[in-house]
Amino acid sequence: MSALRLISNRTSQQALSNSDYTWEYEYYEYGPVSFEGLKAHKYSIVIGFWVGLAVFVIFMFFVLTLLTKTGAPHQDNAEPSEKRFRMNSFVADFGRPLESERVFSRQIAEESRSLFHFCINEVEHLDKAKQSQKGPSLESHIHFQEVPGSSGMFEEDLNCLTKFNIPNFVNTEQNSSLGEDDLLISEPPIILESKSVMQSSHRILD
Amino acid sequence: ENISDFSLNVTDCTQVVVPEEVFFTVAAAGILENLLVLIAVIRNKNLHLPMYFFICSLAVSDMLGSLYKTLENIFIILCKMGYLTRRGDFEKKLDDAMDSMFILSLLGSIFSLLAIAADRYITIFYALRYHNIMTLRRALVILAIIWTFCAGSSIAIALFSYEAATVIPFTILFPLMMFFILCLYVHMFLLARSHAKKIASLPTSTVHQRTNMKGAITLTIFLGVFLCCWAPFVLHILLARFCPHNPYCACYMSIFHVNGTLIMCNAIIDPMIFAFRSRELRSTFKKMFCCAR
Repeated sequence: MSALRLISNRTSQQALSNSDYTWEYEYYEYGPVSFEGLKAHKYSIVIGFWVGLAVFVIFMFFVLTLLTKTGAPHQDNAEPSEKRFRMNSFVADFGRPLESERVFSRQIAEESRSLFHFCINEVEHLDKAKQSQKGPSLESHIHFQEVPGSSGMFEEDLNCLTKFNIPNFVNTEQNSSLGEDDLLISEPPIILESKSVMQSSHRILD
Repeated sequence: ENISDFSLNVTDCTQVVVPEEVFFTVAAAGILENLLVLIAVIRNKNLHLPMYFFICSLAVSDMLGSLYKTLENIFIILCKMGYLTRRGDFEKKLDDAMDSMFILSLLGSIFSLLAIAADRYITIFYALRYHNIMTLRRALVILAIIWTFCAGSSIAIALFSYEAATVIPFTILFPLMMFFILCLYVHMFLLARSHAKKIASLPTSTVHQRTNMKGAITLTIFLGVFLCCWAPFVLHILLARFCPHNPYCACYMSIFHVNGTLIMCNAIIDPMIFAFRSRELRSTFKKMFCCAR
C-alpha cells in the first residue's frame, strides 16, 4: 500500500519536482522509509547540522577576534622610530597637497601596510633622510611605486588586508597620516629594486 | 514488488520544494554576475594579473555550479513533461555528465579559493620577490594544472560514484582544504597583528589599539560563506551513500533542493566578497555599463 502510494506520488503530483527527481539517484529508490518509533525529532540531523555549523563559524570568529586582541605593545628601538617620525613630518608636507592621488593612494597605502612594514624592517638601516627629501613630484610617484608586486594585485589582495583593519593602517579617515607617511619612507629603497614595479604603478596612474 | 509492512506516517518528510521561479532567478543571477566578472577581467588590461586570474577561476567554477543546477532543473522539467524517459541510457549518461559538472565546480571552487589564499600569502610573506615568484605564466600554468586535475577527478568520481570509496576522499578533501586555507589566512592575520603592534609602539602613535574586528569578520565571511553553502550538499552526498534508509537521513535528504539553492547563492556571494572588493574591477564595471548606455 505504501509502495503504491509512493508510485502514485511519482506519477501524479506534477507540482513536486522531488518525485520526478528520485529516478536520477538510484539510492532514492530504495523504497519507503518507516518513520515510526522515532525517538528524536525527525529533522534532528538537519537541526543538528545547522546548529553545529553556526557554532563552528561563531567559534572561529571568536578565535580570530582573540587572535587580533593585541597585548601591550612591546618597546621597539626608539631610535629608528624617531628617525622615521622626523621623516614623517617632512614627508607629510609633500604628501598632503596631492589630493586626487591621495584618495587613490590612500587606498593602496592603507591596504599595503603590512607589506611595507616588512620593508621598513628591511630598510631600517638605510639612509632614508636623503631619499625622502626629494621633491614633491617624486613623492607622488613614490605613492605608487613602492609596490613590489603589481598594484592591481595589491588592491585586491590588500582589500583583504584592509578588512583585517590593522588599527593604524586601515583607517579610512584622513587623520591616520602616520601610517601613510611610514609608507612613503619605506618606499624609496624599494623603488630602486625593480623597474617592473614602476611600470605597473604607472599603469595604475593612468 | 513485495513491500513489507511499512506504513508511512502522514507526517513523513516530504521534499521541501523550492519554487522554480526562485530557483531559476538565483541561478541566472549567479551565472550573469560571474560572467560579468570574467568579461571585466578580460577587457581591462590592468587586470591581467595572477590575482585576478585566480578570481576568474573562482568565477568560472561558480558559473559551472549554477549551470549544473539549471540544467538539472531543466532536465527534471523535461522528464515531467515526458520528453525524456526515466531510465534510458542516454538519460543516465546525461545524468553522469551533469554529476561530473557539479563535482568539477566544487573542486574548482575549493582549489581556486586555495590559490587565492596562497597568492595573498606569497604577497605578504615574500613581498619583494612576489613579482618573480608569481609570474603571469606561472599563474596560468597553475590554473591549467588545477583545472586538469579537477576535470580528471570529477570524471573519475562521476564514473565510480556508486562505490563508497569515491565518496570518502571527496568528503575528506573538503574539510582538509578549508583547514589549510584557514591556516594560511590566520598566519597572514598574525603578521598583520604584529605589524600593528609595531606601529602602535611608535612613540608618536596617536591611534589607540582596538580589536581588529573587521579582520576577523572578513575572514569569517570568507570561510563561513563557503562552508555554509557547500557543506550541506556534501553532507547530503555522504548520507545518501551511507544511510539512505534511515529516517533521520531521509529527512535530511528531503531538503535537497534547499541545499542546491545554497550552492547557487554561493555563486552570487563569491564575486561580492572577492571580485568586487577591487576598485579597479568596480571601475571597469562602471565603464562597461556607462558605455552600454
